[in-house]
Amino acid sequence: MEEIESDQLQSASHEEAKFKKEDEEGEDECTLQFLDSLDAYLTLVDSLSSSLRQGWFDLASARQSMGHTRISSKLFDHKAHSASTTVKVTELHIDNLSDGEKSIATEVEAQASTAISSDIQKERSKSSTLFGAMVSPKLRTAQVSFETALDKIVEMANARSSILTSFSQLELKKKSPS
Amino acid sequence: MARRVQIPTNNSALIAMIADEDTITGFLLAGVGNVDIRRKTNYLIVDNKTTVKQIEDAFKEFTTRDDIGIVLISQFVANMIRFLVDSYNSPVPAILEIPSKDHPYDPANDSVLSRVRYLFNTESVAGDRR
Repeated sequence: MEEIESDQLQSASHEEAKFKKEDEEGEDECTLQFLDSLDAYLTLVDSLSSSLRQGWFDLASARQSMGHTRISSKLFDHKAHSASTTVKVTELHIDNLSDGEKSIATEVEAQASTAISSDIQKERSKSSTLFGAMVSPKLRTAQVSFETALDKIVEMANARSSILTSFSQLELKKKSPS
Repeated sequence: MARRVQIPTNNSALIAMIADEDTITGFLLAGVGNVDIRRKTNYLIVDNKTTVKQIEDAFKEFTTRDDIGIVLISQFVANMIRFLVDSYNSPVPAILEIPSKDHPYDPANDSVLSRVRYLFNTESVAGDRR
């Protein structure tokens, strides 16, 4: 009888050790995902800063060649029009099973979408004609720099979403009893 | 405990901006500008005449509109309404702090990074390991 009880105790403690190990591995995976997302976010911020700096520089050069009054917020179009560059937002569900509890985190995925490729040039010239029919080539390179910056921004939004999701998963794991 | 946040899928969400004139000019060139039939824009140009109240109102408006997916805000502007930005918790629209010409990006002020910073506090790590 005592032997049976001892066997049962041993198998219970093995099971407990196994769950504890799986729990730790899950936490390690969350931690890695969190750190990867954080690294991606910081790298993207750096890359965005670089694109923006190039854009501002080209804009300043365009302003110098075209004149300050020709590139100004006073020329912005205030008539009703829709944006040609938008973002697609989708919801991703991530289920986590933790000690019998189920938590659902949502991650938001964003993808930039512009008009179909054959219309991109048309949209680009439409945006730049805000400042007149004949514009400096520097204005066009500024436009490209800001379009590149937009791509970085969408990736940053996804990285942000991933950071917050993995962070909340880590918090849940820390709070759940081991 | 299951907790579910409903996020509507949006195939053409706008990008709103609260930034200086040059940044907004650049992004308008990239096709982000939108003006609705009530002549409401998806951007606010911040200059030395813009009040904190105007910035707060724009931030609250952009974060409650369901047609906006991302809100870009220059970090120096975000610092003026830091309490409001840091207390924002929804996944959509995503708030992204960006540098401006005169104010480079400072990760210490970023609301996302400050939210997760405590994970790197050595005392809390040592406490969990005991």
